[in-house]
Amino acid sequence: MLHILGLGNSVLSLTLSTLLIAFWAMWPTKKWDPRGQFCYVTGGSSGLGLALAVALTGRGAHVTIVARNEERLAKALAEIEANRQNPNQILRSYSYSLTDPEASQAALGAASEDHDHKYPDAVFLCAGAATPGFFVEEDAKSMQKGMDNTYWIQAYTALAYAKHLARKQTQGKLVFTSSLLGYMSLIGYSTYAPGKHALRGLAETLRSELILYNSSVHIMFPGNIDSPGYEEENRTKPKITLEIESTDRPTAPDVLAKELIDGVRRGDFHIAPDMLSNIFRSSTMGATPHQNVLLDAFYAGIGWIGLPLWRRSVDSKVLGHREEHKEYLQTRDFFKSTA
Amino acid sequence: MNSVNSCNQPRMYPVLVTILLILLTGITMLGRLFSKSWDSKGKHCYVTGGSSGLGLAVAKLLVLKGAHVSIVSRDTQRLENAMKELEAIRTSPSQIIKSYSYDLVTATGASQALDAVCEPHQGRNPDAIFMLAGSCHPRFFIEETEETMRTQMDQTYWVQAWTALEASKRMVRDKTKGKIVFHSAYIGYITLIGYAAYGPGRMALRALADTLRQEFLLYDIDIHIAFPGTMYTPGYDIENATKPKITLKIEETDPGVTGDQYAKGLLRGVQNGDFHISPDLLGNIFRASMRGVAPSGNFFVDSLWNFIGWVGLPIWRISVDSTVRGHRKEHEEYLANKGFYSSKTKASATS
Repeated sequence: MLHILGLGNSVLSLTLSTLLIAFWAMWPTKKWDPRGQFCYVTGGSSGLGLALAVALTGRGAHVTIVARNEERLAKALAEIEANRQNPNQILRSYSYSLTDPEASQAALGAASEDHDHKYPDAVFLCAGAATPGFFVEEDAKSMQKGMDNTYWIQAYTALAYAKHLARKQTQGKLVFTSSLLGYMSLIGYSTYAPGKHALRGLAETLRSELILYNSSVHIMFPGNIDSPGYEEENRTKPKITLEIESTDRPTAPDVLAKELIDGVRRGDFHIAPDMLSNIFRSSTMGATPHQNVLLDAFYAGIGWIGLPLWRRSVDSKVLGHREEHKEYLQTRDFFKSTA
Repeated sequence: MNSVNSCNQPRMYPVLVTILLILLTGITMLGRLFSKSWDSKGKHCYVTGGSSGLGLAVAKLLVLKGAHVSIVSRDTQRLENAMKELEAIRTSPSQIIKSYSYDLVTATGASQALDAVCEPHQGRNPDAIFMLAGSCHPRFFIEETEETMRTQMDQTYWVQAWTALEASKRMVRDKTKGKIVFHSAYIGYITLIGYAAYGPGRMALRALADTLRQEFLLYDIDIHIAFPGTMYTPGYDIENATKPKITLKIEETDPGVTGDQYAKGLLRGVQNGDFHISPDLLGNIFRASMRGVAPSGNFFVDSLWNFIGWVGLPIWRISVDSTVRGHRKEHEEYLANKGFYSSKTKASATS
């Protein structure tokens, strides 16, 4: 009995000292203020990116948005202008295809021209798109496109920005946008979840590595966003995936934009904008920094019991879908095709 | 008098709870014993990266178990040497052991390789696909180029994803019952400085495996994914050629295993039907700490691993962060020596 007590003592001391270290790490430091900061927002012409650009403008930041479609960019810039707080704010838009590495570098260069060749103080990577489908119906093109539109579209800009920070020995902020699908995956997301998980991998490495350049990294994990992108996504999404997601209502982009800014201001590494995201975050913690140790333990506790139960129910939905799926593949002539 | 007696009575509740936990753990383990284990004997196993390292080690074990084995990789010399080793341990004259040279980083390459391996089997699909091809080239992120990043993604993610895609289409079309085995790494759970191009590929594989595990409930295909740490294979030497000194220093604590040792654990995991395969201490701690929605092993044992991770991993991470912080000056000198501060736009990738 006594040595169990002794072991219990050691475990208790270890836990307490971890908690102490964690609380010390959580001690509030100066909050980041967007006012007067040069903020660069990719995917800034619609959805989350646009909402973020508008919100940052409202807080007095200089904002440059980058996306592909010039028409959408023009409309977006008008919206951003409407939220201008003072005449000194530099608000710009540029059309570049960010799935191209040269273009990603050039876009940053173009944006810096407006600021006397100074690069952004903060880079918000909101560009991305999803095209869900059944894996066996994908091909080389659709899989490449999936990785381009999730991972490369953010990674190329991150590379160009990080090199600049290191070379000029200046401080910066790099903010990625992943997804709940960066914490877990679901049937239908074989071209989306890998890229979103890859972003987490990149962000995790850079959080540590950019310490060398006095710069910080953040990454947000939203669920479905009520945006044009979401409508587009649902057009090809398998019925069963829609069914599984039916209980999760999409969130308004401006709500997420506020969560993102608040998270960056607090200095959170992973930014989980709602309960579900927090449960997934705490259930896949690994070596990721904790936020509020007690709250995280609470979320993790819910996840430890709840997530396996939820998964089992989803699995049985999928199993129940087998016959219907076979008929679906038949109507697509899948069984007749030569690979 | 009553109070004296109650002090001497043993506490029943902790004892009961402990007995209950032991019973429950025992029952779940027994359950494992009685469930049918997958037997590779007589099955056609397709092993990518099968000419060296972990791939060759797994191929050898499969041959010893009486499976038909096809190995695929790029290097014809290595394939030839590997075939000699496999032939030497053949267990029966009817075993079909073959090697093929293909580059699997394109969908076309993966497709052609699959067509070739199916030929000696009357066009029938393999029963199990072991995707063990790939390589690792760590370096500081700011020394990467888009080319080196793409190559690393090819050598982690695409080299497996294409094979998975082509094999899945064939297996579903032909209604084959089978197994697809991915391999990731510790870095697919918990990443580290120096692995900015490699970690994403390993995590992407985990996401693909997680998606397919659920999606392939629609078909009769099992998905597995293994997470080795440091393995002393030819690949490890290639990795260390570019690895930053600071990364090597941080990794000192991982004792590492040989390819043969890990192959045993990998195959055992496949035989037992484990989804995430992590036959070692660190692997289990990482897996349980990142479990999320993925099906796991024993609930109680995993809770223990998760708790150890919950307490231990933050401590480890904080110490790694301070190592990185302390490395700043040395890193600046390193970059200066490489002419990094004087170069114009793109820094060239260093080898």
